[in-house]
Amino acid sequence: MSDTQRTVGRLVKAPENFLAKDDAKSPETMRRKFLAAGAATAGLGLAAAAKAASNPVSGKGDPNILNLPEHTTGLGMPVAANGYGVPSKYEKGLQRRESPGLTRVSAASVAFTPLQGTFGIITPSGLHFERHHQGWWDIDPSKHRFMINGMVKRPKVYTMDDLMRLPSVSRIHFIECGANTAMEWGNVAVPTVQYTHGMVSCSEFTGVPLSALLEDCGYDKKNGKFVLAEGADGSSMTRTIPIEMALDDVIVAYGMNGEMLRPENGYPLRLVVPGVQGVSWVKWLRRIEVGDQKWATKDEAIHYIDLLPNGMHRQYSGIQEAKSVVTSPSGGQLLLDKGFYNITGLAWSGRGKITRVDVSADGGKNWRTARLETPVLTKALTRFNIDWSWDGKPAILQSRAIDDTGYVQPPVQLLREVRGTRSIYHNNMIQSWRVAESGEVSNVQVS
Amino acid sequence: MFKSAKLSLAVAAIAVAATPNFVAAFDGIGRAATPAEIKAWDIDVRPDFKGLPPGSGSVAKGQNVWEAKCASCHGVFGESNDVFTPIAGGTTPADIKAGRVANLAREDFPQRTTLMKVATVSTLWDYINRAMPWTNPKTLTTEEVYAVTAFILNLGDIVPADFVLSDKNIAEVQKRMPNRNGMTTEHGLWTVKGKPDVRGTACMKDCKKEVVVTSFLPGSAVDSHGNLIEQNRPIGPTRGLDTSKPKKN
Repeated sequence: MSDTQRTVGRLVKAPENFLAKDDAKSPETMRRKFLAAGAATAGLGLAAAAKAASNPVSGKGDPNILNLPEHTTGLGMPVAANGYGVPSKYEKGLQRRESPGLTRVSAASVAFTPLQGTFGIITPSGLHFERHHQGWWDIDPSKHRFMINGMVKRPKVYTMDDLMRLPSVSRIHFIECGANTAMEWGNVAVPTVQYTHGMVSCSEFTGVPLSALLEDCGYDKKNGKFVLAEGADGSSMTRTIPIEMALDDVIVAYGMNGEMLRPENGYPLRLVVPGVQGVSWVKWLRRIEVGDQKWATKDEAIHYIDLLPNGMHRQYSGIQEAKSVVTSPSGGQLLLDKGFYNITGLAWSGRGKITRVDVSADGGKNWRTARLETPVLTKALTRFNIDWSWDGKPAILQSRAIDDTGYVQPPVQLLREVRGTRSIYHNNMIQSWRVAESGEVSNVQVS
Repeated sequence: MFKSAKLSLAVAAIAVAATPNFVAAFDGIGRAATPAEIKAWDIDVRPDFKGLPPGSGSVAKGQNVWEAKCASCHGVFGESNDVFTPIAGGTTPADIKAGRVANLAREDFPQRTTLMKVATVSTLWDYINRAMPWTNPKTLTTEEVYAVTAFILNLGDIVPADFVLSDKNIAEVQKRMPNRNGMTTEHGLWTVKGKPDVRGTACMKDCKKEVVVTSFLPGSAVDSHGNLIEQNRPIGPTRGLDTSKPKKN
């Protein structure tokens, strides 16, 4: 009970104490910091009253209103000051980050998306998670080539000019690494939703349906059963994809969220394999080969295989089953005060559309159905929201997704019964966040 | 008349939008790949050894290449865990006989090495050829790839020290891979229509009697990811926790 935040019941409102160093230097900021500190002190007095106000004020009113700031009384910045716009300097906290100790080589590692701070369903391209197997490159698109060979009548080479002349589609899909949430199979291991679930992102991808290109090359419709996708990077990443999937909704993509792919995401060309784990979305895509057998490449024979309790490995696992997570309030956060909150989160399924998300605030005893925000698209992130009034007592927040196949996201115990705790990949368990009386939210697992 | 013409136009527009009007071949787009181009890029080797170039390499030669180009990351005996997970170790003569690695069923076994997991020798050849060495991928000669593969196989006692691996005998070596029977494709995660192995239930009320927290974040991990206040917005319904200060209980 000695914790200050706990004594006040909740958080002391003084966000200005967390500004980047260069911002804090400006006299304007210092002045605001001083004023905010005054407001916060005044707030403490009011908080003692029966009903705490969310925005306490003393004297004549809020100095942020009474004293007109420079941005209201001065001249602002000109157009095109940033030829390519960047986020506000106050948003610096939201960055892609590595999980310390997860990997030992940063060229074969992961940077996680800060899901705790994103809105809606589209991941800003600069915050899209990263996973590279042998480092990333910024490839000259005028020299990039894409080849289709194997069981085709006409093996062909395409330039980016060729591909971008073709009829294109634009589709919104999630991409999730098969190892997302891998660290939580046995027990709680990491503090925030960025590290538990941040290997999922969602973008609008633009490109040519692979089916059209396979048709253009005259693929063997009788004997072609699989395609191999291969990257142009040092690892020349390769994965086998069943031909039905290749002909269904796979895209040879160059666009992402209205611009070209970012280099970290495969510029100038990557494969989009909706519903399937990210490793199959081969980046810097250079080649598709049509074949009649699976290839057993390194990333489908040594990694991305799921160990079962009896020592067997599941090979050629790819679909990301229905999953959801509450992104706010979530682990490592602190609630401001008692009262109203919007519990918000993301749900997705590699088998189709999300039809329902239920949310529990008591660790799974009772559930309420959340609102799904539009658009609700197949194999895309879906945003859910639900009202919640926090009474200041301990709570455990969970969400549970259901997709249009009727599949219900399972608790971790059910997954462990079948798959044990060492299978690494495809962990789609229900996530639990415990809210303490102090307002502190932490990652837990419950029975 | 005008009205119905407009309507049929609208119907036509919808039909086009629903099925992009792709033609069988795109005039003037792309060109035939030359045999040399296909040879330069089509380097994949399948489990049935389709794509494997003729050639051979000895364990002894492999050891030389290994020490010069591989050992700094993987250790002299493929045992190193400093940069990547170990290549060799954890397999036994009994595994080679059975085609199943017994240690994979042991929860207490510390690490899964490459030789414990890999079922197909083609995977080793293909990956070494396409992606190794780490900072100079695709620079090994065909003989060097055979030799390094042979050296790794010898580390697991799959082939003897005087062995020369070649396109002629690699199928025989496959029959000795320790985990060759260790893979299953009996699961629902390969196709969209696959059958799930685990399903939750959509219970809404009084779904359980009590809720017990079975796992908390270990105390040592609270600040292992940096100061969380700096990883959240300074505005909004929450703040990040200040994990720079010692936690009081």
